[in-house]
Amino acid sequence: MKRALAIVPLILAGGICCSADEVSMFKAYVDTDLCARLMLGPVTSARIACSQQTHKDGSDPVLVQLSNNLVLDANKDNLIKNLVGQLADVSGQINVKNGSVKLQSVTPIKADAIPQGDPARKQLDVRMYRTTGSPQLYEKIRHELAMMPYISEFDFISFTMAGNDVILTGWTVRQTNRSDAQNIVKNIEGVGTIINNIEVLPLGSFDMQIRARTRAVLQQNLSMYFWGNGSDIKIVVKNGDVILLGNVIRQSDKDIANIRVNSIPGVFHVFNLLRVQSGEEKKG
Amino acid sequence: MFNVSFQSSSRVLGVALSLAVGAGCSRQQTQTASTASSQPASAETAEAPIELKKMPAGKEFSGFLKDYSNLKPNPNLDGTALTFVSNDAQKNLHRYIAVIVDPVQVYLASDVDESKLPDKARGVGARYFHKALEGAVSSAFPIVSQPGPLVLRLRSAIVGVDVGGEVPAADKAAAADNALDRTVNIGKVAVEMELVDSQTGEQIASMVDRETLGSGAEIGAVNFSREEKWAAAREAFDGWARRVRDFLDSADELSPEDAKRADQSYRPYGDTVTK
Repeated sequence: MKRALAIVPLILAGGICCSADEVSMFKAYVDTDLCARLMLGPVTSARIACSQQTHKDGSDPVLVQLSNNLVLDANKDNLIKNLVGQLADVSGQINVKNGSVKLQSVTPIKADAIPQGDPARKQLDVRMYRTTGSPQLYEKIRHELAMMPYISEFDFISFTMAGNDVILTGWTVRQTNRSDAQNIVKNIEGVGTIINNIEVLPLGSFDMQIRARTRAVLQQNLSMYFWGNGSDIKIVVKNGDVILLGNVIRQSDKDIANIRVNSIPGVFHVFNLLRVQSGEEKKG
Repeated sequence: MFNVSFQSSSRVLGVALSLAVGAGCSRQQTQTASTASSQPASAETAEAPIELKKMPAGKEFSGFLKDYSNLKPNPNLDGTALTFVSNDAQKNLHRYIAVIVDPVQVYLASDVDESKLPDKARGVGARYFHKALEGAVSSAFPIVSQPGPLVLRLRSAIVGVDVGGEVPAADKAAAADNALDRTVNIGKVAVEMELVDSQTGEQIASMVDRETLGSGAEIGAVNFSREEKWAAAREAFDGWARRVRDFLDSADELSPEDAKRADQSYRPYGDTVTK
Protein backbone atom coordinates (compact mmCIF):
# COMPACT_ATOMS: atom_id res chain seq x y z
CA MET A 1 0.00 0.00 0.00
CA LYS A 2 1.16 3.48 -0.64
CA ARG A 3 2.06 5.57 2.31
CA ALA A 4 0.73 9.05 1.94
CA LEU A 5 0.09 10.70 5.24
CA ALA A 6 0.51 7.85 7.58
CA ILE A 7 1.30 8.82 11.07
CA VAL A 8 3.08 5.83 12.25
CA PRO A 9 4.57 4.49 15.38
CA LEU A 10 5.62 6.13 18.52
CA ILE A 11 7.50 4.41 21.22
CA LEU A 12 6.07 5.08 24.62
CA ALA A 13 8.52 3.05 26.47
CA GLY A 14 11.32 0.76 25.59
CA GLY A 15 14.78 0.88 24.42
CA ILE A 16 14.78 3.24 21.48
CA CYS A 17 16.85 6.28 21.92
CA CYS A 18 18.31 7.43 18.69
CA SER A 19 18.20 10.90 17.27
CA ALA A 20 17.26 11.35 13.63
CA ASP A 21 20.86 11.81 12.49
CA GLU A 22 22.31 8.82 14.29
CA VAL A 23 22.89 5.68 12.25
CA SER A 24 21.57 2.59 14.00
CA MET A 25 22.32 -1.03 13.35
CA PHE A 26 19.47 -3.32 14.14
CA LYS A 27 17.90 -6.62 13.26
CA ALA A 28 14.58 -6.55 11.53
CA TYR A 29 11.92 -8.69 10.01
CA VAL A 30 10.90 -7.55 6.54
CA ASP A 31 7.13 -7.52 6.69
CA THR A 32 4.28 -5.89 4.81
CA ASP A 33 2.37 -2.90 6.03
CA LEU A 34 -0.74 -5.03 6.35
CA CYS A 35 0.66 -7.99 8.29
CA ALA A 36 2.82 -5.78 10.47
CA ARG A 37 -0.30 -4.05 11.78
CA LEU A 38 -2.21 -7.26 12.37
CA MET A 39 0.25 -9.92 13.37
CA LEU A 40 2.91 -8.29 15.46
CA GLY A 41 4.48 -10.88 17.65
CA PRO A 42 6.64 -13.84 16.91
CA VAL A 43 7.85 -14.53 13.42
CA THR A 44 5.98 -17.74 12.75
CA SER A 45 5.38 -19.60 9.51
CA ALA A 46 1.87 -18.09 9.48
CA ARG A 47 3.32 -14.63 9.78
CA ILE A 48 5.79 -15.29 6.99
CA ALA A 49 3.01 -16.61 4.75
CA CYS A 50 0.97 -13.52 5.50
CA SER A 51 3.88 -11.24 4.65
CA GLN A 52 4.70 -12.94 1.38
CA GLN A 53 1.13 -13.26 0.18
CA THR A 54 0.09 -9.71 1.01
CA HIS A 55 3.23 -8.35 -0.59
CA LYS A 56 2.34 -10.27 -3.73
CA ASP A 57 -1.12 -8.72 -3.54
CA GLY A 58 0.26 -5.20 -3.30
CA SER A 59 0.93 -4.39 0.32
CA ASP A 60 4.08 -2.30 0.75
CA PRO A 61 7.13 -3.71 2.53
CA VAL A 62 8.05 -2.34 5.94
CA LEU A 63 10.68 -3.18 8.52
CA VAL A 64 9.81 -4.42 11.98
CA GLN A 65 12.61 -3.85 14.44
CA LEU A 66 12.88 -7.17 16.23
CA SER A 67 14.00 -5.85 19.59
CA ASN A 68 10.82 -3.88 20.20
CA ASN A 69 8.31 -4.53 17.39
CA LEU A 70 8.47 -0.97 16.09
CA VAL A 71 7.12 -0.74 12.54
CA LEU A 72 9.30 1.38 10.27
CA ASP A 73 8.52 2.68 6.82
CA ALA A 74 11.68 2.54 4.72
CA ASN A 75 12.67 5.34 2.39
CA LYS A 76 13.91 2.86 -0.22
CA ASP A 77 11.41 0.10 -0.84
CA ASN A 78 13.65 -1.44 -3.47
CA LEU A 79 16.22 -2.39 -0.81
CA ILE A 80 13.72 -4.53 1.06
CA LYS A 81 11.00 -5.52 -1.38
CA ASN A 82 12.77 -8.75 -2.35
CA LEU A 83 13.35 -9.69 1.28
CA VAL A 84 9.75 -9.79 2.47
CA GLY A 85 9.35 -12.70 4.89
CA GLN A 86 13.04 -12.71 5.80
CA LEU A 87 15.23 -11.41 8.58
CA ALA A 88 17.82 -8.76 7.92
CA ASP A 89 20.63 -6.76 9.42
CA VAL A 90 19.77 -3.14 8.81
CA SER A 91 21.64 0.09 9.17
CA GLY A 92 20.02 3.46 8.83
CA GLN A 93 18.73 6.56 10.52
CA ILE A 94 15.61 5.82 12.51
CA ASN A 95 13.04 8.55 12.97
CA VAL A 96 10.99 7.30 15.88
CA LYS A 97 8.55 10.17 15.75
CA ASN A 98 7.22 9.37 12.31
CA GLY A 99 8.09 5.69 12.32
CA SER A 100 10.48 5.73 9.40
CA VAL A 101 14.01 4.73 8.60
CA LYS A 102 16.43 6.20 6.12
CA LEU A 103 18.19 3.08 4.95
CA GLN A 104 21.91 2.72 4.41
CA SER A 105 22.21 -1.02 4.05
CA VAL A 106 20.11 -4.14 4.33
CA THR A 107 21.63 -7.61 4.48
CA PRO A 108 19.53 -10.75 4.73
CA ILE A 109 20.42 -13.04 7.62
CA LYS A 110 19.35 -16.44 8.90
CA ALA A 111 17.59 -16.84 12.22
CA ASP A 112 20.52 -18.72 13.72
CA ALA A 113 22.73 -15.71 13.10
CA ILE A 114 20.94 -14.00 15.96
CA PRO A 115 22.63 -15.16 19.16
CA GLN A 116 20.73 -16.54 22.13
CA GLY A 117 20.09 -13.77 24.61
CA ASP A 118 19.90 -11.09 21.96
CA PRO A 119 16.68 -9.04 22.48
CA ALA A 120 15.87 -9.65 18.81
CA ARG A 121 15.85 -13.36 19.45
CA LYS A 122 12.63 -13.32 21.43
CA GLN A 123 10.63 -12.43 18.33
CA LEU A 124 11.62 -15.76 16.89
CA ASP A 125 10.42 -17.71 19.91
CA VAL A 126 6.73 -18.48 19.83
CA ARG A 127 6.88 -19.75 23.42
CA MET A 128 7.57 -16.23 24.56
CA TYR A 129 4.06 -15.30 23.49
CA ARG A 130 2.26 -18.49 24.33
CA THR A 131 3.43 -19.00 27.85
CA THR A 132 3.55 -15.50 29.20
CA GLY A 133 0.91 -12.86 29.62
CA SER A 134 -2.14 -13.09 31.79
CA PRO A 135 -5.46 -14.09 30.17
CA GLN A 136 -7.21 -11.79 32.64
CA LEU A 137 -5.07 -8.87 31.63
CA TYR A 138 -5.64 -9.69 27.98
CA GLU A 139 -9.40 -9.72 28.51
CA LYS A 140 -9.32 -6.45 30.39
CA ILE A 141 -7.41 -4.75 27.57
CA ARG A 142 -9.70 -6.28 24.97
CA HIS A 143 -12.81 -5.10 26.77
CA GLU A 144 -11.53 -1.57 27.33
CA LEU A 145 -10.57 -1.20 23.68
CA ALA A 146 -13.93 -2.60 22.59
CA MET A 147 -15.71 0.08 24.59
CA MET A 148 -13.75 3.02 23.22
CA PRO A 149 -15.95 5.89 22.04
CA TYR A 150 -15.88 7.17 18.48
CA ILE A 151 -14.93 3.83 16.97
CA SER A 152 -16.62 3.38 13.62
CA GLU A 153 -16.78 0.65 11.01
CA PHE A 154 -13.73 2.33 9.52
CA ASP A 155 -11.46 1.81 12.52
CA PHE A 156 -9.81 -1.39 13.59
CA ILE A 157 -7.58 -1.39 16.62
CA SER A 158 -5.85 -4.60 17.53
CA PHE A 159 -3.20 -5.58 20.01
CA THR A 160 -0.71 -8.26 20.84
CA MET A 161 0.80 -9.03 24.21
CA ALA A 162 4.31 -10.13 24.94
CA GLY A 163 4.29 -10.90 28.62
CA ASN A 164 2.69 -7.85 30.14
CA ASP A 165 3.92 -5.58 27.39
CA VAL A 166 1.34 -4.47 24.85
CA ILE A 167 1.78 -3.74 21.18
CA LEU A 168 -1.09 -1.72 19.78
CA THR A 169 -1.72 -2.12 16.09
CA GLY A 170 -4.36 -1.44 13.47
CA TRP A 171 -5.79 1.58 11.71
CA THR A 172 -8.03 4.47 12.62
CA VAL A 173 -9.55 7.46 10.89
CA ARG A 174 -9.32 9.57 14.04
CA GLN A 175 -5.98 10.75 15.33
CA THR A 176 -7.30 10.80 18.87
CA ASN A 177 -8.28 7.13 18.78
CA ARG A 178 -4.61 6.38 18.49
CA SER A 179 -3.67 8.30 21.61
CA ASP A 180 -6.85 7.32 23.45
CA ALA A 181 -6.14 3.64 22.93
CA GLN A 182 -2.68 4.15 24.29
CA ASN A 183 -3.95 6.04 27.33
CA ILE A 184 -6.64 3.49 28.05
CA VAL A 185 -4.18 0.62 27.99
CA LYS A 186 -1.61 2.58 29.96
CA ASN A 187 -4.10 2.98 32.79
CA ILE A 188 -4.82 -0.72 33.10
CA GLU A 189 -3.08 -2.16 36.10
CA GLY A 190 -0.43 -4.70 35.24
CA VAL A 191 0.38 -3.42 31.76
CA GLY A 192 4.09 -2.99 31.15
CA THR A 193 5.47 -1.07 28.24
CA ILE A 194 3.32 -0.06 25.29
CA ILE A 195 4.34 0.26 21.68
CA ASN A 196 1.82 2.12 19.60
CA ASN A 197 1.83 1.08 15.95
CA ILE A 198 -1.71 2.25 15.23
CA GLU A 199 -1.75 4.04 11.91
CA VAL A 200 -3.93 7.10 11.33
CA LEU A 201 -5.53 6.89 7.91
CA PRO A 202 -5.77 9.79 5.48
CA LEU A 203 -9.27 11.22 4.90
CA GLY A 204 -8.85 12.02 1.21
CA SER A 205 -12.07 12.30 -0.73
CA PHE A 206 -11.46 9.18 -2.86
CA ASP A 207 -10.98 7.04 0.20
CA MET A 208 -14.05 8.59 1.78
CA GLN A 209 -16.11 7.62 -1.23
CA ILE A 210 -14.74 4.10 -1.13
CA ARG A 211 -15.55 3.86 2.57
CA ALA A 212 -19.12 4.95 2.02
CA ARG A 213 -19.63 2.67 -0.97
CA THR A 214 -18.05 -0.30 0.76
CA ARG A 215 -20.26 0.12 3.79
CA ALA A 216 -23.29 0.49 1.56
CA VAL A 217 -22.68 -2.67 -0.47
CA LEU A 218 -21.82 -4.74 2.58
CA GLN A 219 -24.82 -3.48 4.46
CA GLN A 220 -27.00 -4.27 1.50
CA ASN A 221 -25.64 -7.78 0.99
CA LEU A 222 -24.64 -8.80 4.50
CA SER A 223 -27.08 -6.85 6.62
CA MET A 224 -26.99 -9.34 9.49
CA TYR A 225 -23.52 -8.13 10.40
CA PHE A 226 -24.64 -4.52 10.78
CA TRP A 227 -26.51 -3.73 13.95
CA GLY A 228 -27.68 -0.54 15.61
CA ASN A 229 -24.71 1.76 15.40
CA GLY A 230 -22.00 -0.79 14.83
CA SER A 231 -20.95 -3.75 12.74
CA ASP A 232 -19.09 -7.03 12.96
CA ILE A 233 -17.25 -6.16 9.75
CA LYS A 234 -14.58 -3.49 9.79
CA ILE A 235 -13.61 -1.62 6.66
CA VAL A 236 -10.10 -0.16 6.52
CA VAL A 237 -9.48 1.99 3.47
CA LYS A 238 -6.07 3.35 2.63
CA ASN A 239 -5.26 4.98 -0.69
CA GLY A 240 -7.74 2.85 -2.61
CA ASP A 241 -6.92 -0.42 -0.87
CA VAL A 242 -9.65 -2.01 1.22
CA ILE A 243 -8.92 -4.34 4.12
CA LEU A 244 -11.90 -6.27 5.41
CA LEU A 245 -11.62 -7.39 9.02
CA GLY A 246 -13.85 -8.88 11.66
CA ASN A 247 -16.00 -11.94 11.89
CA VAL A 248 -18.61 -13.59 9.70
CA ILE A 249 -20.50 -16.80 10.29
CA ARG A 250 -20.16 -18.48 6.91
CA GLN A 251 -17.48 -18.80 4.28
CA SER A 252 -20.06 -17.80 1.69
CA ASP A 253 -20.50 -14.46 3.48
CA LYS A 254 -16.79 -13.87 3.28
CA ASP A 255 -16.87 -14.68 -0.42
CA ILE A 256 -19.81 -12.37 -1.01
CA ALA A 257 -17.98 -9.55 0.74
CA ASN A 258 -14.98 -10.12 -1.44
CA ILE A 259 -16.85 -10.11 -4.72
CA ARG A 260 -19.02 -7.12 -3.85
CA VAL A 261 -16.18 -4.95 -2.61
CA ASN A 262 -14.03 -5.84 -5.59
CA SER A 263 -16.76 -4.50 -7.84
CA ILE A 264 -16.74 -1.05 -6.26
CA PRO A 265 -15.33 1.54 -8.66
CA GLY A 266 -12.05 2.99 -7.47
CA VAL A 267 -11.06 0.11 -5.22
CA PHE A 268 -7.50 -0.85 -6.00
CA HIS A 269 -6.95 -3.98 -3.89
CA VAL A 270 -9.17 -5.93 -1.56
CA PHE A 271 -7.48 -7.74 1.31
CA ASN A 272 -10.19 -9.97 2.66
CA LEU A 273 -9.12 -10.88 6.18
CA LEU A 274 -12.57 -11.63 7.50
CA ARG A 275 -12.55 -14.55 9.91
CA VAL A 276 -15.14 -17.28 9.56
CA GLN A 277 -16.42 -18.12 13.01
CA SER A 278 -17.97 -21.49 12.26
CA GLY A 279 -14.69 -22.96 11.17
CA GLU A 280 -16.10 -23.92 7.79
CA GLU A 281 -13.43 -21.96 6.02
CA LYS A 282 -12.44 -23.39 2.66
CA LYS A 283 -9.82 -26.07 2.70
CA GLY A 284 -7.22 -26.88 0.10
CA MET B 1 -6.23 -19.45 12.59
CA PHE B 2 -5.15 -16.28 10.92
CA ASN B 3 -3.08 -18.15 8.40
CA VAL B 4 -5.95 -20.35 7.27
CA SER B 5 -8.21 -17.37 6.96
CA PHE B 6 -5.67 -15.42 5.03
CA GLN B 7 -4.86 -18.12 2.51
CA SER B 8 -8.49 -18.64 1.86
CA SER B 9 -9.12 -14.98 1.34
CA SER B 10 -6.31 -14.84 -1.15
CA ARG B 11 -7.95 -17.52 -3.23
CA VAL B 12 -11.23 -15.71 -3.13
CA LEU B 13 -9.44 -12.56 -4.09
CA GLY B 14 -8.01 -14.30 -7.08
CA VAL B 15 -11.45 -15.45 -8.20
CA ALA B 16 -12.92 -12.04 -7.65
CA LEU B 17 -10.17 -10.39 -9.60
CA SER B 18 -10.77 -12.78 -12.46
CA LEU B 19 -14.44 -11.92 -12.43
CA ALA B 20 -13.70 -8.25 -12.41
CA VAL B 21 -11.31 -8.06 -15.31
CA GLY B 22 -13.07 -5.08 -16.73
CA ALA B 23 -12.37 -3.06 -13.67
CA GLY B 24 -8.67 -2.88 -14.44
CA CYS B 25 -8.65 0.41 -16.27
CA SER B 26 -10.70 2.31 -13.80
CA ARG B 27 -8.55 1.01 -10.96
CA GLN B 28 -5.45 2.42 -12.54
CA GLN B 29 -7.06 5.81 -13.00
CA THR B 30 -8.40 5.85 -9.52
CA GLN B 31 -5.14 4.96 -7.94
CA THR B 32 -3.56 8.00 -9.51
CA ALA B 33 -6.35 10.13 -8.24
CA SER B 34 -6.42 8.66 -4.80
CA THR B 35 -2.73 9.03 -4.21
CA ALA B 36 -3.09 12.68 -5.14
CA SER B 37 -5.68 13.17 -2.45
CA SER B 38 -4.46 14.25 0.92
CA GLN B 39 -5.61 15.02 4.41
CA PRO B 40 -7.66 18.16 4.02
CA ALA B 41 -6.53 21.04 6.13
CA SER B 42 -8.79 22.94 8.44
CA ALA B 43 -11.06 25.33 6.61
CA GLU B 44 -9.54 28.74 6.10
CA THR B 45 -12.92 30.30 6.04
CA ALA B 46 -12.64 31.71 9.54
CA GLU B 47 -11.37 35.02 8.19
CA ALA B 48 -14.27 35.41 5.77
CA PRO B 49 -16.42 38.52 6.30
CA ILE B 50 -19.06 37.97 8.93
CA GLU B 51 -22.56 38.80 7.82
CA LEU B 52 -24.61 40.23 10.65
CA LYS B 53 -28.22 39.25 11.00
CA LYS B 54 -30.81 40.32 13.45
CA MET B 55 -32.87 38.25 15.83
CA PRO B 56 -36.50 38.58 14.71
CA ALA B 57 -38.50 40.55 17.27
CA GLY B 58 -40.76 38.51 19.51
CA LYS B 59 -39.45 35.16 18.26
CA GLU B 60 -38.06 32.40 20.40
CA PHE B 61 -35.40 31.36 17.91
CA SER B 62 -33.29 33.17 15.33
CA GLY B 63 -34.35 31.12 12.32
CA PHE B 64 -30.76 30.02 11.72
CA LEU B 65 -31.44 26.31 12.09
CA LYS B 66 -33.17 24.40 9.36
CA ASP B 67 -35.65 22.93 11.80
CA TYR B 68 -36.53 23.67 15.42
CA SER B 69 -39.58 21.43 15.72
CA ASN B 70 -37.74 18.37 16.98
CA LEU B 71 -35.72 20.05 19.76
CA LYS B 72 -36.18 18.66 23.24
CA PRO B 73 -34.56 19.33 26.64
CA ASN B 74 -31.43 17.23 27.01
CA PRO B 75 -31.04 15.66 30.46
CA ASN B 76 -27.39 14.88 29.75
CA LEU B 77 -26.52 18.56 29.63
CA ASP B 78 -26.85 20.90 32.57
CA GLY B 79 -28.80 24.07 32.08
CA THR B 80 -31.12 25.01 29.32
CA ALA B 81 -29.99 23.12 26.26
CA LEU B 82 -32.48 21.87 23.72
CA THR B 83 -31.17 19.20 21.41
CA PHE B 84 -32.11 16.85 18.62
CA VAL B 85 -30.30 13.74 17.40
CA SER B 86 -31.51 11.83 14.39
CA ASN B 87 -32.32 8.20 15.07
CA ASP B 88 -32.57 7.32 11.42
CA ALA B 89 -30.52 4.16 10.91
CA GLN B 90 -28.96 5.57 7.74
CA LYS B 91 -28.61 9.20 8.83
CA ASN B 92 -27.27 9.58 12.34
CA LEU B 93 -24.08 10.81 13.93
CA HIS B 94 -22.53 7.34 13.94
CA ARG B 95 -22.64 7.30 10.17
CA TYR B 96 -20.12 10.15 9.85
CA ILE B 97 -16.42 10.39 10.55
CA ALA B 98 -15.40 13.95 9.67
CA VAL B 99 -16.74 17.48 9.79
CA ILE B 100 -16.53 20.83 8.07
CA VAL B 101 -16.82 23.67 10.56
CA ASP B 102 -18.53 26.62 8.90
CA PRO B 103 -17.81 30.21 9.92
CA VAL B 104 -19.95 31.24 12.86
CA GLN B 105 -22.89 33.50 12.09
CA VAL B 106 -23.81 36.42 14.33
CA TYR B 107 -27.36 37.42 15.18
CA LEU B 108 -27.73 40.75 16.93
CA ALA B 109 -30.40 41.19 19.54
CA SER B 110 -33.59 42.47 17.96
CA ASP B 111 -33.43 45.90 19.59
CA VAL B 112 -29.80 46.65 18.81
CA ASP B 113 -28.93 49.80 16.95
CA GLU B 114 -26.64 48.26 14.36
CA SER B 115 -25.03 51.58 13.52
CA LYS B 116 -23.45 51.62 16.96
CA LEU B 117 -21.57 48.43 16.32
CA PRO B 118 -18.07 49.31 15.14
CA ASP B 119 -17.12 47.76 11.80
CA LYS B 120 -14.15 45.97 13.22
CA ALA B 121 -16.32 44.44 15.93
CA ARG B 122 -18.43 42.47 13.49
CA GLY B 123 -16.38 39.31 13.51
CA VAL B 124 -15.13 39.61 17.07
CA GLY B 125 -16.34 36.66 19.03
CA ALA B 126 -17.48 34.74 15.97
CA ARG B 127 -13.93 34.04 14.89
CA TYR B 128 -12.84 33.08 18.37
CA PHE B 129 -15.86 30.83 18.78
CA HIS B 130 -15.11 29.21 15.42
CA LYS B 131 -11.66 28.25 16.61
CA ALA B 132 -13.02 27.08 19.96
CA LEU B 133 -15.54 24.90 18.17
CA GLU B 134 -12.86 23.41 15.94
CA GLY B 135 -10.78 22.61 18.98
CA ALA B 136 -13.71 21.05 20.79
CA VAL B 137 -15.01 18.81 18.02
CA SER B 138 -11.89 17.88 16.09
CA SER B 139 -10.96 14.97 18.30
CA ALA B 140 -14.41 13.46 17.78
CA PHE B 141 -14.74 14.37 14.12
CA PRO B 142 -11.54 15.25 12.24
CA ILE B 143 -11.93 18.53 10.40
CA VAL B 144 -11.91 18.50 6.63
CA SER B 145 -12.56 21.21 4.07
CA GLN B 146 -14.49 19.40 1.35
CA PRO B 147 -18.04 18.08 1.52
CA GLY B 148 -18.51 14.43 0.70
CA PRO B 149 -19.76 11.12 1.97
CA LEU B 150 -19.31 10.53 5.71
CA VAL B 151 -18.72 14.26 6.21
CA LEU B 152 -20.88 16.48 8.38
CA ARG B 153 -21.18 20.23 8.22
CA LEU B 154 -21.26 22.07 11.53
CA ARG B 155 -23.26 25.28 11.28
CA SER B 156 -23.40 27.54 14.27
CA ALA B 157 -24.54 30.98 15.29
CA ILE B 158 -24.18 33.18 18.32
CA VAL B 159 -27.53 34.74 18.89
CA GLY B 160 -28.49 37.88 20.80
CA VAL B 161 -25.26 39.86 20.55
CA ASP B 162 -25.67 43.37 21.92
CA VAL B 163 -23.72 46.60 21.75
CA GLY B 164 -22.32 47.67 25.11
CA GLY B 165 -20.92 50.89 26.46
CA GLU B 166 -17.92 52.84 25.31
CA VAL B 167 -14.58 51.24 25.91
CA PRO B 168 -12.76 53.18 28.64
CA ALA B 169 -9.82 55.24 27.46
CA ALA B 170 -7.40 53.29 29.61
CA ASP B 171 -8.50 50.00 28.04
CA LYS B 172 -8.29 51.57 24.61
CA ALA B 173 -4.75 52.63 25.27
CA ALA B 174 -3.85 49.16 26.51
CA ALA B 175 -5.31 47.47 23.44
CA ALA B 176 -3.70 49.96 21.05
CA ASP B 177 -5.02 49.58 17.49
CA ASN B 178 -7.14 46.62 18.43
CA ALA B 179 -9.47 48.50 20.75
CA LEU B 180 -13.11 48.90 19.82
CA ASP B 181 -15.00 52.16 20.37
CA ARG B 182 -17.82 50.31 22.07
CA THR B 183 -17.87 46.93 23.70
CA VAL B 184 -19.70 43.93 22.32
CA ASN B 185 -21.99 42.60 25.00
CA ILE B 186 -22.55 38.85 25.05
CA GLY B 187 -24.44 38.78 28.35
CA LYS B 188 -27.60 37.39 26.81
CA VAL B 189 -26.09 35.38 24.00
CA ALA B 190 -27.30 31.89 23.19
CA VAL B 191 -25.75 29.43 20.76
CA GLU B 192 -27.59 27.66 18.01
CA MET B 193 -25.82 24.93 16.10
CA GLU B 194 -26.62 22.01 13.87
CA LEU B 195 -24.82 19.20 12.15
CA VAL B 196 -26.09 18.54 8.67
CA ASP B 197 -25.10 16.08 5.99
CA SER B 198 -22.46 17.92 3.94
CA GLN B 199 -23.93 16.65 0.69
CA THR B 200 -27.68 16.78 1.21
CA GLY B 201 -28.00 19.40 3.96
CA GLU B 202 -30.23 17.07 5.93
CA GLN B 203 -30.22 17.84 9.65
CA ILE B 204 -28.53 15.11 11.68
CA ALA B 205 -28.31 16.81 15.07
CA SER B 206 -29.00 20.24 16.48
CA MET B 207 -28.70 22.20 19.68
CA VAL B 208 -29.94 25.47 21.07
CA ASP B 209 -27.95 26.34 24.16
CA ARG B 210 -29.27 29.17 26.26
CA GLU B 211 -26.84 28.62 29.08
CA THR B 212 -25.93 32.14 30.18
CA LEU B 213 -22.21 31.63 30.11
CA GLY B 214 -21.74 35.11 28.76
CA SER B 215 -23.41 36.82 31.68
CA GLY B 216 -21.44 39.96 32.51
CA ALA B 217 -18.96 39.35 29.70
CA GLU B 218 -17.99 42.02 27.21
CA ILE B 219 -15.48 42.28 24.42
CA GLY B 220 -13.62 45.53 24.00
CA ALA B 221 -10.84 44.70 21.60
CA VAL B 222 -10.47 42.84 18.34
CA ASN B 223 -7.90 40.54 19.90
CA PHE B 224 -9.98 40.12 23.01
CA SER B 225 -8.68 36.66 23.67
CA ARG B 226 -5.32 38.10 24.63
CA GLU B 227 -6.70 40.73 26.97
CA GLU B 228 -7.20 39.72 30.57
CA LYS B 229 -9.98 42.26 30.79
CA TRP B 230 -12.11 40.21 28.43
CA ALA B 231 -11.31 36.80 29.92
CA ALA B 232 -14.95 36.23 30.85
CA ALA B 233 -15.94 36.43 27.19
CA ARG B 234 -13.22 33.99 26.20
CA GLU B 235 -14.32 31.58 28.90
CA ALA B 236 -17.91 31.88 27.76
CA PHE B 237 -17.09 30.92 24.18
CA ASP B 238 -14.85 28.09 25.36
CA GLY B 239 -17.67 26.93 27.59
CA TRP B 240 -20.23 26.89 24.80
CA ALA B 241 -17.81 24.97 22.60
CA ARG B 242 -17.26 22.43 25.38
CA ARG B 243 -21.01 21.97 25.70
CA VAL B 244 -21.26 21.27 22.00
CA ARG B 245 -18.64 18.57 22.50
CA ASP B 246 -20.48 17.23 25.56
CA PHE B 247 -23.57 17.00 23.41
CA LEU B 248 -21.70 15.04 20.73
CA ASP B 249 -20.22 12.72 23.35
CA SER B 250 -23.62 11.98 24.81
CA ALA B 251 -25.05 11.39 21.34
CA ASP B 252 -22.19 9.02 20.52
CA GLU B 253 -22.85 6.74 23.48
CA LEU B 254 -23.92 3.28 22.47
CA SER B 255 -27.14 1.80 23.74
CA PRO B 256 -26.63 -1.05 26.24
CA GLU B 257 -27.55 -3.53 23.50
CA ASP B 258 -25.08 -2.05 21.05
CA ALA B 259 -22.36 -1.88 23.70
CA LYS B 260 -22.86 -5.56 24.48
CA ARG B 261 -22.69 -6.48 20.82
CA ALA B 262 -19.60 -4.33 20.30
CA ASP B 263 -17.90 -6.10 23.19
CA GLN B 264 -18.80 -9.54 21.87
CA SER B 265 -17.80 -8.66 18.34
CA TYR B 266 -14.36 -7.26 19.09
CA ARG B 267 -11.65 -9.87 18.61
CA PRO B 268 -8.14 -8.55 18.09
CA TYR B 269 -6.18 -10.25 15.37
CA GLY B 270 -3.22 -10.67 17.64
CA ASP B 271 -5.13 -12.95 19.99
CA THR B 272 -4.02 -16.22 18.49
CA VAL B 273 -0.55 -15.84 19.87
CA THR B 274 -1.59 -15.29 23.44
CA LYS B 275 -4.14 -18.02 23.89
